Amino acid sequence: MENLLDLNFLIESFPAIVSRLPITIGIAVGSLVLSLFIGVFTALIKIYKVPVLSVISSIYVSFIRGTPLLVQIYLVFYGIPKIIYFLQIEYGWLQSADVNSIAPEVYALLAFSVNLGAYLSETIRSAIESVDRGQFEAAKAIGMSPTAMMLKIIFPQALAVAIPNLGNMFISTIKDTSLVFIIGVVDIMGQAKILGSRGLAFFEVYIAVSIVYWILCIIVERVLVKIEKRARRYERGIAA
Amino acid sequence: MIKLENIHKYYDSQHVLKGINLEVSKGEIVSILGPSGSGKSTLLRCINFLEQPTSGIVEIGGKRVDVESASKADVFALRTSTGMVFQQYNLFKNLTVLDNVMIGLTSVKQLKKDEAKKKSLDILERVGLTNRLNHYPAQLSGGQQQRVGIARALALNPEVLLFDEPTSSLDPELVDEVLATIRSVAATGKTMFIVTHELQFAREISDRVIFMEDGVIVEEGTPEQLFTQPKAERTKQFLSKASRNK
Ligand SMILES: Nc1ncnc2c1ncn2[C@@H]1O[C@H](COP(=O)(O)OP(=O)(O)OP(=O)(O)O)[C@@H](O)[C@H]1O
Ligand SMILES: [Mg+2]
Repeated sequence: MENLLDLNFLIESFPAIVSRLPITIGIAVGSLVLSLFIGVFTALIKIYKVPVLSVISSIYVSFIRGTPLLVQIYLVFYGIPKIIYFLQIEYGWLQSADVNSIAPEVYALLAFSVNLGAYLSETIRSAIESVDRGQFEAAKAIGMSPTAMMLKIIFPQALAVAIPNLGNMFISTIKDTSLVFIIGVVDIMGQAKILGSRGLAFFEVYIAVSIVYWILCIIVERVLVKIEKRARRYERGIAA
Repeated sequence: MIKLENIHKYYDSQHVLKGINLEVSKGEIVSILGPSGSGKSTLLRCINFLEQPTSGIVEIGGKRVDVESASKADVFALRTSTGMVFQQYNLFKNLTVLDNVMIGLTSVKQLKKDEAKKKSLDILERVGLTNRLNHYPAQLSGGQQQRVGIARALALNPEVLLFDEPTSSLDPELVDEVLATIRSVAATGKTMFIVTHELQFAREISDRVIFMEDGVIVEEGTPEQLFTQPKAERTKQFLSKASRNK
């Protein structure tokens, strides 16, 4: 009888796939952190209408939105070594950098940070602008510095507003990291591909890897709900 | 002492303050009356540079600032020597009552936490909110929120408190508790500027009442003078209209 699935192979592929989870999570979380910096930075540039920089950041956001992620990953992977090499030869900069020793994970992290940063930028900008002007004024009136005002008053509230959007984008990013095998990163997807070609059982490994992604995303969603509740606790009109 | 010399403010081409001169001594309570759009809010906001005045001199507690050449340090000095109470309270919504009052002390005056807390508790006691320390603004009534607003403004121990229609957003039954708080602060000898539509309150609390219209001070005097024998025709009209609306 012909089997639809080699169940044993499917089950046995899990440990190897799960062992690469740190790579997947590392790239996703790492790029979330970096992209938050990029997103806040570009959002502030737009809000304060910084000359030149605000034009540059508009172009950046537009470019990222208008080109496929896959292409962006290739651009980073092939572009950065070339640029570093060029700077070394032409200007003698970055002499200590050895282009060949940069791990593909680093390119993946960069590409995803730049990509997610652009998407976060708009979300963060509108979240910051959702905090009423009156609180900005009150902070100024007591003599707070812009930095203190942002860190202690504005960002915590903007974050609470932005979390649902940030969460969705983060979950998309987790799924998008399945692209990184194309530049040689062995994440859970890359591991699945390797196992699949070894055992000639692609359907089985892709079922396995999809289950891993699924569970991961469900867990992340749960955590996000908790984080959002906590971040918005001050909005509830009942005694704390 | 607070001194304003020839303050002008333009919004683009609109001339909103047309040369305000004012000298207020320590402990004096000055109410500012006037029709909507006369520039009352703008005047208060120019004193602490929430709006940059176009020209003139602001002097508070010996610190004299020509607004056209005001440095960051000058602006900081003016802001920390004034406390502002807003019509919409403008409390920091992500902070508790205690933290709203403390934050100026910890992040502006750089006081140690326990010292800041002690001062803040004292001030919150004065506005009667020690039983709401860990509440967030969303969990308070409008009157309570405004009393936190007053406490926050008092925390930095400013030379002068600036009130911009502190009771105008309140439900009528909550106005009295806020007025009572303002009275009790007045009794401590704090210098105050109060923009208000509460004529009776202005009359009873003020040492001086100013009537503004169209960016100029039309008339000023003691509450007795201004309310019973206004000189300017516009003041008379304003007062009779305002009392008819009551
Ligand atoms: N940020 C601003 N930009 C442009 N014009 C402004 C701004 N703020 C105030 N104005 C204008 O300045 C004038 C004075 O406004 P201001 O708010 O000082 O009046 P007010 O006496 O406080 O009035 P109200 O009693 O309604 O509060 C008004 O014509 C107003 O439209
Ligand atoms: Mg006003």
